[in-house]
Amino acid sequence: MTDLALSVKDLQTFFYTNNRCNKALNGVSFDIRKGKTLGIVGESGCGKSVTASSIMQLLPRLSRIEQGSITYHSETEGEIRIDQLERDGAEMRRLRGDDIAMIFQDPMTALNPVYTVGFQIAEALQYHTDLSPKARGEKVVDLLTDMGIPMPEKRAKEFPHNYSGGMRQRAMIAMAMSCAPKILIADEPTTALDVTIQAQIFRLMNQLKEEHGTAIMLITHDMGVIAELADDVAVMYMGNIVEAGTVDEVLRTPRHPYTRALLDSVPVLGRGKDQDIKSIRGATPDPYERPPGCQFEPRCDYATAACQQPQSEDYITDTHRVMCHRYKEIFDNV
Amino acid sequence: MLTFIIRRLLITIPMMLVISFLVYLGLELTPGDAVSHMIDPEAAARMTEEQFAEMREALGLNKTFLERYWIWLTNVVQGNFGHSLSGGVAISTIVLDRLPATLELSVFALVFSTLIGCVLGTLSALRRGSGTDNALTVVGMLGVSIPEFFFGLVAILIFALNLGWLPAGGRLLPGYETFFDRLPHIVLPGIVLSLMMTAGVMRYARSSMLDSLSREFIRTARAKGLPAWRINLIHGFRVALTPVVVLIGFRLPTLIGGSVIIEQVFQWPGIGSEFIGAVRGSDYPLVMMIALLSVFAVLMASLIVDVLTALIDPRVRLG
Repeated sequence: MTDLALSVKDLQTFFYTNNRCNKALNGVSFDIRKGKTLGIVGESGCGKSVTASSIMQLLPRLSRIEQGSITYHSETEGEIRIDQLERDGAEMRRLRGDDIAMIFQDPMTALNPVYTVGFQIAEALQYHTDLSPKARGEKVVDLLTDMGIPMPEKRAKEFPHNYSGGMRQRAMIAMAMSCAPKILIADEPTTALDVTIQAQIFRLMNQLKEEHGTAIMLITHDMGVIAELADDVAVMYMGNIVEAGTVDEVLRTPRHPYTRALLDSVPVLGRGKDQDIKSIRGATPDPYERPPGCQFEPRCDYATAACQQPQSEDYITDTHRVMCHRYKEIFDNV
Repeated sequence: MLTFIIRRLLITIPMMLVISFLVYLGLELTPGDAVSHMIDPEAAARMTEEQFAEMREALGLNKTFLERYWIWLTNVVQGNFGHSLSGGVAISTIVLDRLPATLELSVFALVFSTLIGCVLGTLSALRRGSGTDNALTVVGMLGVSIPEFFFGLVAILIFALNLGWLPAGGRLLPGYETFFDRLPHIVLPGIVLSLMMTAGVMRYARSSMLDSLSREFIRTARAKGLPAWRINLIHGFRVALTPVVVLIGFRLPTLIGGSVIIEQVFQWPGIGSEFIGAVRGSDYPLVMMIALLSVFAVLMASLIVDVLTALIDPRVRLG
């Protein structure tokens, strides 16, 4: 019996547009542990959302998983190779929404405007459980109650436009949690919400994790959120995981210059308005003209000629790994 | 909902008044008056000025414009539509005689174009970029750009004269009275009348469907593990439907206008062919009533569209 919920090994997902190939994910490996939260951080376009879409098999038509494996460790059916399932085939559809559920960035547009919230939550139950329509209605009310939505009986019959932003995200979470999934993928769940609502949503997610033992894959670009919620963290840059480990390892002893740069670019409350916030110089390279070696090399303060050679992952501890030619030297300087 | 409908019906009254005035004014401005149309030119040549004046006096034509409008209006409101100048038949009789045929044709065309247009448009969107989609795009452009009477003539030539499958015109044969007896007669004019509308609905349904399929709630539906048909129809099509219903509502007047021509081509005994006859014969009372009736039909259609959009889209509030 493994304590893993999902393993991703050397995943490569490419996008094909205008006869050019964008290697959106270029060999990504990570594990999601049962009942734990894996945070994935990185700037826009680094492949966070593509990773989520690959796991859900919700990639756009012009992209595909080229190589690597995504293995779901099912408690009842053993290992399921998600990457080998047909995209919209019956087996994949059975997993989606039942074993693996997802919540999206913008709850304003993620709900269908012409159906009641109750109907949309009950839909997932209809396809993944044997509940009668009446039992589904009761379950919907229970779920909304769990999400802290007042007057759930009345609210279930209302349409998304009657809900506020935070309420809609709660409804989305209720929908995702309806079939008690083993893995919940949250793709920037609070980016579109204001900060006070953010805290409520995260508290709710944490509570669900503890009550149901759901593993969470939390995609964000907010280091503060990672520190607060995640057990493990993976830092992504240009389709690679440049550093991964437990939250303590990565946040307290960052090894990769990119991780450090990210941490340095976050303002800290209480240091006053004159604090020195460092931005990362340059811009993300064109995905069609990538640097030959380390992807971060053109923007890195520690870069040397050696950094233009292809590099590999090194394990510092059993869990902490980094993808940098010079991490040992940089480490010594600290 | 009920208060909205009542309010809209009340708004219809001043609109109808303004339009009836404009119609009356328009016909007042055309040269000649009723007398000159009632009497054939040879008889008129032998009549004296006094006789003309007498007739005008008898018909009330010497009264001022506003007085005459008021008399006409009060009569119409009381259901007295007046008499046709040619033949002297009561206009209400003519309308009751002819209206069912036109309604039959328009409703057939409306139902046909809505169903076929939506089905083909959705198919086109779901198979975007495929051979089916491209073929339907070409057919759609042809349908929108070629005038209906041309289609009508071609259809008569092929299906009635060469193949002999369907009758070339008319509405019913003596002794054939049930709906199914009459069905063969309506097929050609009905389909020809609906062609342009079908093509329009199809193109519109396609783009509306593509728009709805690219929205995020489709991804949510997929993430729930729903089967493709449910994602496309229950989630995609339902949202795509609202703009299509609005379009169909706006196109209703063209259906009424088109039926005037199509009725002529297929000798369909509807109000459209009566209208052409009335205009040719300068039968002003009849022209006015038919024009008013079509205006009324358009106003009612737009009311129905408003109610329908409110029914299918919960975000629309009537008021």
